[in-house]
Order: sequence, then C-alpha cells, then structure tokens
Amino acid sequence: MKKTVRNIYLGLILFLMYAPIVTLIVLSFNASKSRAKWGGFTLKWYASLFQDKAIMTALYNTLIIALLSAVLATVVGTAASIGINAMKGRSKTIMMGITNIPILNSEIVTGISLMLLFIAFRVTLGFSTILLAHITFCIPYVILSVMPKLKQTSKSTYEAAQDLGAGPVSAFFKVVFPDILPGIVSGFLMAFTMSLDDFIITHFTKGPGVDTLSTKIYAEVRKGIRPEMYALSTLLFVSVLVLMILVNTSPKEPKDRKTVSKRKSLQRGLRLAIPLLLVAVLAGGGAFYYFAGAKDAGSEKLIVYNWGDYVDPKTIELFEEETGISVTYEEYETNEIMYPKILSGAIAYDVVCPSDYMIQRMIENDLLAKLNLDNIPNIKNMDSIYMEQSRSFDPDNAYSVPYCVGTVGILYNKTMVHEPVDSWDILWDSKYADSILMQDSVRDAFAVALKRRGYSLNSSKVDQLIQAKDDLIAQKPLVQAYVVDQVRDKMIGNEAALGVIYSGEAGYTKRENPNLEYVIPKEGSNVWIDSWVIPKNAKNKENAEKFINFMCRPDIALMNFEYLTYATPNKAARALIKDEETRNSKILFPNAEDLTNCETFQFLGDDVDSYYNELWNKVKSN
Amino acid sequence: MNHTLVNLIDISKSFGDQVILDELNLSIRENEFLTLLGPSGCGKTTTLRILGGFESPDSGKVIFDGKDITNLPPNKRNLNTVFQKYALFSHMSIEENIAFGLKISGKSKAYIHDKVKYALKLVNLDGYENRLPDSLSGGQQQRVAIARAIVNEPRLLLLDEPLGALDLKLRQDMQYELIRLKNELGITFIYVTHDQEEALTMSDTIVVMNQGYIQQMGSPEDIYNEPQNAFVADFIGESNILPGMMLEDKLVEILGAKFPCVDVGFGKNKPVDVVIRPEDVDLLAPEEGTIQGVVSHLIFKGVHYEMEVQANGFEWLVHSTDMFPVGQQVGIHVNPFDIQIMHKPESEDEEAIGINE
Repeated sequence: MKKTVRNIYLGLILFLMYAPIVTLIVLSFNASKSRAKWGGFTLKWYASLFQDKAIMTALYNTLIIALLSAVLATVVGTAASIGINAMKGRSKTIMMGITNIPILNSEIVTGISLMLLFIAFRVTLGFSTILLAHITFCIPYVILSVMPKLKQTSKSTYEAAQDLGAGPVSAFFKVVFPDILPGIVSGFLMAFTMSLDDFIITHFTKGPGVDTLSTKIYAEVRKGIRPEMYALSTLLFVSVLVLMILVNTSPKEPKDRKTVSKRKSLQRGLRLAIPLLLVAVLAGGGAFYYFAGAKDAGSEKLIVYNWGDYVDPKTIELFEEETGISVTYEEYETNEIMYPKILSGAIAYDVVCPSDYMIQRMIENDLLAKLNLDNIPNIKNMDSIYMEQSRSFDPDNAYSVPYCVGTVGILYNKTMVHEPVDSWDILWDSKYADSILMQDSVRDAFAVALKRRGYSLNSSKVDQLIQAKDDLIAQKPLVQAYVVDQVRDKMIGNEAALGVIYSGEAGYTKRENPNLEYVIPKEGSNVWIDSWVIPKNAKNKENAEKFINFMCRPDIALMNFEYLTYATPNKAARALIKDEETRNSKILFPNAEDLTNCETFQFLGDDVDSYYNELWNKVKSN
Repeated sequence: MNHTLVNLIDISKSFGDQVILDELNLSIRENEFLTLLGPSGCGKTTTLRILGGFESPDSGKVIFDGKDITNLPPNKRNLNTVFQKYALFSHMSIEENIAFGLKISGKSKAYIHDKVKYALKLVNLDGYENRLPDSLSGGQQQRVAIARAIVNEPRLLLLDEPLGALDLKLRQDMQYELIRLKNELGITFIYVTHDQEEALTMSDTIVVMNQGYIQQMGSPEDIYNEPQNAFVADFIGESNILPGMMLEDKLVEILGAKFPCVDVGFGKNKPVDVVIRPEDVDLLAPEEGTIQGVVSHLIFKGVHYEMEVQANGFEWLVHSTDMFPVGQQVGIHVNPFDIQIMHKPESEDEEAIGINE
C-alpha cells in the first residue's frame, strides 16, 4: 500500500516535470501544423529544419561558440583552480566565494553588465563578444568541478613526482593532471552545456546578424511558432540530455577494477579524443571565419534594425539582388529596447524603424542623421496626410520616411451593440458593464480618457491628467479586462462587446468575425507612424538611403503591405492593391477628415512620463 | 666511521610568526641510519623537507657531499623521499609507479624492467607489477613507496614517518625490513618519527628535537640511559623525573632523602632534575629502603608488573618482575649508577634549547 502511494507520487512528480517536454517532442513528429490535432507521424519538420540556412548557421554558431568557450574556459578555469588551491586559509575561502558569485548571480544582470562593459570599452557587439561572455560565465562552472578533484589530490603526489626527478611542469601533467582529469572533463562538458543552453546572456551580448540557436528560436517564436521549432527544441533538449548524462557518468571509474588494462584503453581513447576535438574546433573556427570573411567580401553592407517580423523577407532578398549590398537584419521587440542600443553606439546600425514619439526623442538627443532626400526620390509616393502628421515629431520631414501607419479606435460587436458608435463615451456606458476591453498600457489608456474630454493625448496639464485619471477610475467597474493582444481573440470569440484596438488588428478580426466593426471616434484618436530613420553613427548612410528608397517603391511597399497587413502610407502602393474592398478600407486608409482630431504620441520628457505612470498606478490599484 | 654526507649549517625557518627551526646545525655521515625524533611541531618534518628541497630555509646552507644544494630544486637532488601517506600515483600501475623516476632519467626499457623487478623482489612484492595502488593494503603500498624511492639508487633516502599509518604488528615487521634494506643497499637513511620505540629500534643515531632545537644527539643507548634534560628523559621511554638538590659531588638529595650517585661537577647545593627509569627502582622491605612508601596501583604487563608507589609526596613509577600488592609498605632503593642528574633549566627558552654542549 505504502509502496503504491510512493510510486504514484513519484510518477506524478516525474509527469509534472517532463510533461511539457514530452508534449514538445510529440508535436515535433506531428504531421499536422495544428497543436490540437494529431496528423500522423512525420519527420518532415526535421527535414525542413536542416534545409533552413538561417537555422543551420545558428546551429553552427552555437556549436563553435560552445566548443571554443568551453575549451578556453576549461583552460582558464583549471589554471585558476590550481592557483586558488595553492592559496591558504581566508584568501582561499574569499576567492572561492568570489568565483561562485557569478553562478548565483541573475543571468540578466550578468548579461546586461557584460553588454555595458563591452560598450564602455567600445567593443563592437558580435560573435567575439558572445564568445567572451560565454567564456566568462563558464569559468566558474569549471572551477566548481575542478576544485574538489584538486582538493582530493594530495599535495605529496606532486612532490613525489618532483622528488623522482620530474620538473614542476612535467610533474603537474604526469601526476596531478590525470588525477583531476575527470573534474576537468566534467567541467568542460558543463561549460559546453551551459554555453549551448544560454539565451539571456547571448541575447544581450550578441551583435547584428549573429544568432545562436536559442536566440534564433526566440526570434522565430515571436513571429508565431513553426513546427520546425518543435523539432529544433527537441534536438536541443536531447543534446543537452546526452551531455548531462556524459557529465554524470564519465568521471566515475569503476571501483572494482584492480588492474590497469581497461583503464589504459580509456586513457588512450581520451588522449586521442582531446587532440581530435581541438583539431575539430580549430578547423571549425577557421572555416567559420573564412565563411564569415567570404560573406564580408562583398564590401557593400547594410545593417537593418527593425521590429520583429516587420518586413517581407523576399523584399530584402530582392534588394540584395538588385543592389549587390549584403543586408544584415536585426530585430527588436519594443522602442524601449531599441533606444538604449542606439544610444550606446555599440553597434552602428544603418537603418532603424522606430515609432513617432521615439523618433522625436532620438532627434532631441541628436542620434539621427538628416536624410539626403535626393537619394530617396520615391518619397514622392507618400500620402501627404502622413507627411503632415510626421511633422509633429519631425517638424521638417528631414529625418524620417513613414513605413507603416495606423490608428487606435473602438472595435465593437454589432450583435451586442445596437446603437451607432462614434464616441469614446460609449466606453463609459454602464449598459456595457463587464464587456468592455481596455488597452493595458499607460499612454493608450490615457489617450482614450483625454481625447474623450477633448484634450490632447500629449497633454501634460495636471488638471487634465487628474480628470483623466478620475474618469478611468470611474470607468473601471465597467471594464472586463485591461489587456494587450487578447483584445483581438476575445472580440473574435464574442467575449466582449467593445474593445480598444489598433487598426492593424482590426482588419484581421473583421475577417475572422464579420460582426465586428472598427471606428475612429469623432473626438479623435492616436495615429501612429513607424518610419525609417538613419542613426548618426551609421557606417553605410548611402546604402541606407538606397534601402529606404527601395522600400518606398510601390511594388515593394505593396509586397510588405500584403505580408504585414498594416496600412501603408504609400499612395502609389495602395493604388496597386487588387482587392477593391481592401483598397478602399476606411479602417486601413482613413480620409484626411477622419484624422482631423488625431494626433501622434510625443515624447513628453521623463518627468511627465513618470507622472503618467504614477496616475496609471493609482487607476490600476484603485 | 665514514665521511660526512650531509651538513646542515645554521638553518632557520619560520612560517609567519612561528619559528620552526632556529639556527639548526646537523651533520649526517655516509651510510648512517639517523632518526629525527620529537613531538609534532618540533621541526623534524621541516628539516626533512628542507633536505628534500620542498622548503627553502630562511637562512643557512644545505651541503650535500661537499656541494651547496640549498637552492637546488627537488628534481635535481640525488636523494629520494618516502612520503608519510605513500603518495603513490593512483592512476599508474605499481610497475609504472616504480619506473617513474627511471623513465624520467631516460634509462633503457630493459634496464627499467630489470630494476623494477629487482626492487619489487627487495620489498617482497613480486608479481604485483600490474596492480593499481588502491587495490593494495597499507603495508603493501608502503613497500611500493619504498621501492619507488630506492630503485633510483639515491645516496640518501628520506623517510617521513613512513610507518605512521600502519598497525602495530605490521609496523614492527616493517622496522626490521627497513634495517635489512639499509644494510643491503648501503644507502644513508634519514628517518623522521615521533615514535621513540621506532627510533630506538632502528637508528644508529637519534636526534631528539623540540621547538626547533636539537635537544640531544647520540646513539639509542646514550639517549635512553643518559638523557641530558627532562624533555629527553620524558620523551624517551617512561621515567620518574624528580626535583633534587646536588649536595656535593656524588650525593643528591631527593624528596628529603640522600641518595649516593656517580655524577660530579654540578657544584654544591645546586637544584637539579633527577631521572630514574622505572625498571631501576628496586622495591625492598621498608626498613631496607632509602625512603619508604605504600603501593597504590598494580597492573600486570606481561613481562613485568607496573606499580605506583606513594613515597614522600611523589608517585613513583616502578617496573619489576616481583609483585607487591596494593597497600603493601615498601622501601625504595636506587643504585648510584641508575641515577641520572640533569641541569635544571632556568627559563622557558633554556628549556627549549636544552643543554646541548
């Protein structure tokens, strides 16, 4: 009885621990793309995984970095262990403590500190910085596994070897080294595994165009999970599993062994394996640099820094083909992540695509270069509405060229709302209690409240802001939830009657649920513009201008519109849209009069920003 | 007997504030079995490590066969060490362990093979070539450590408490083995131990050390019979050490009674320490003794009885083949030549330095 309970308990724990990974592994063999449906066993995701050049490059990077960093960390860590072991008393304890801290330290802190260090010393972020970072965080693991072996090794064997005529170095390699070899091997494997596994530190120290598997998976998953990612994650899990098994089994020598013969072969195996491994690493590293060098050979380069999945990859390929410029493409998730990277100057990006208020901030901080509009003749294709709107953050249209635009409005369900919707007021109507969705972000929420009262959404007047706060608090009982991406899914699922939503999402929701309707309230709203800009420290400014000009070409803008479904400010491209309904969509392409009261967000300064946050916290905690 | 092989001249060594050796002088003759004997912390191991080259002295010189080797690293010295914990190379077979030194000095394969075989035979371990050290008993490992050292034919063999980890019976066997080896090989042995019995059994010369100073140096018989101070007397075997007063030459007052002795030259009415070995105390009928006492303890030790006798406020330790039951009144008598008179140290420093003329 007791035994059964024990087994059930054990089973439950194992199930909880491994269920997620088993799910992932099962899905990687699922022929159907759906997560919910089993479409039969297949290996096709593995096949297409190995055909994906970007992923294979990332795999190659991962292995090279893991090998190089593990080898170097092992050498440095072993030497450090020997040094620490020779220390006495307090200084030894202190040194061990110091070397252990990085293991306990939060990875994100390590990652950010390393990034700051590289930036401070003007080291360009890239392959070498990832490698340095990995060596750094792997060293403590090597020390941790070598130290106990060194402690077990009696000092007198080293002295005995010297006594018998061996010099200090030869005594170390002949006598001490074989004794601590299991610790070194497991330290190496541990370092290799940690490096293979790492995401956070890599994320902060990597440069443009260099990805390891983990950062690649992250970038891919952001765009929506492809089944290839299940296959890749499965492979990553299996290889880490194999390594961990090796770490835990290799150093143990069978206890019952009394004679030498068996161990001899193991030793010979190791002696053979280590040089082979080194040769492999060197050859691999050499090949990599040759490969990287070959890629650089086409001297014309361009580094693009853009939102995740914010361009049709085919347009980049076309650009490369037409101009012969090789493009390195990097992505970020939010303006706030992008901004400090540009500010630091660690990477000289050539083209970036920030949002309106961020462009204003970058202009104010002198981070952007003025565009040479002679090189961007296609700017003539831009709708003058957006060029005018852009003046709110770029007064002379001198720094930015619009790429994607949109508005914020109300999405409502016609089956639930039986009255005309044309004002923000409806979000304060108690009839719709518990079926209103608000955006869970400070500026978006305040924009709604401020606009409803007829104020500017960039207001920094205290009385207006306090009134907006009070309004939001008054509205709170009616609100079903403050959400971001779920507005889309909840509205499609008929879970709410009204929701504040971005126009880019509105088109999609309407296709999925024809009962939904999008409107820009008459009081006005936020119109957002993401524009191409060139940072001041760009190394390839002319290429960047070529790229912006290319993106403004009607056929290219059309491709991107069809890929992204975000509205394009490109008049000529809009004219090329075949589907009449889309071409004339008021949601995507509002008239000038629809936008009369609309404003773009502006950067209000740090003080006002924190005042907004303070008020928002009061709303949320009320 | 032979010429001097090693000379330690004015060797001083401190670790931090702690003085381990203070201007130590010692010479070791060729083919001698010399033992450094003393309690832990007396400096004996440090002396050995300075000889081996594992520590360098703060000042002073090490002269080996007429050459100054003070600054020579261990691997350049023509001597070998048998370490306290054997220090065998656990990843190598017994054969590889023993061949280690020969391989490094570049001897031919055939030569090494023969030498290893010979060395193993010498320590009675034929046929153990392919075993690993961990599979051997402590005693066997010790023999391997000795074989590994002597196979290099050093002029001098240093042994650092090599038998310390062995049990009593094995230790005694190994003592005889070591004497045999030394005689067969004709190598000079410097042996470090804190076990006085081991020292007395094996050595030609014993150097008794305490707190970094040599207390007494001499043959086992000299050390045992003529301890020059209370430390040596106390450390070597069991003794009765009593405060006394040298009344005149050949007459000492102990516990208020006058005992004739054979020592001269201490002056008149000088306080001294008196050493009387337990086996030299004769128990007689009360009226026949110099002083009288009562037996307070009695233990049978096999070869003899061990008794404690309360007499004149001192607890006398007595070894005797005659048995006196507890409570028995006895008289104590000591032959004049069994009384050993020593200077009384007048300060702690003097106690450490000893009376080493």
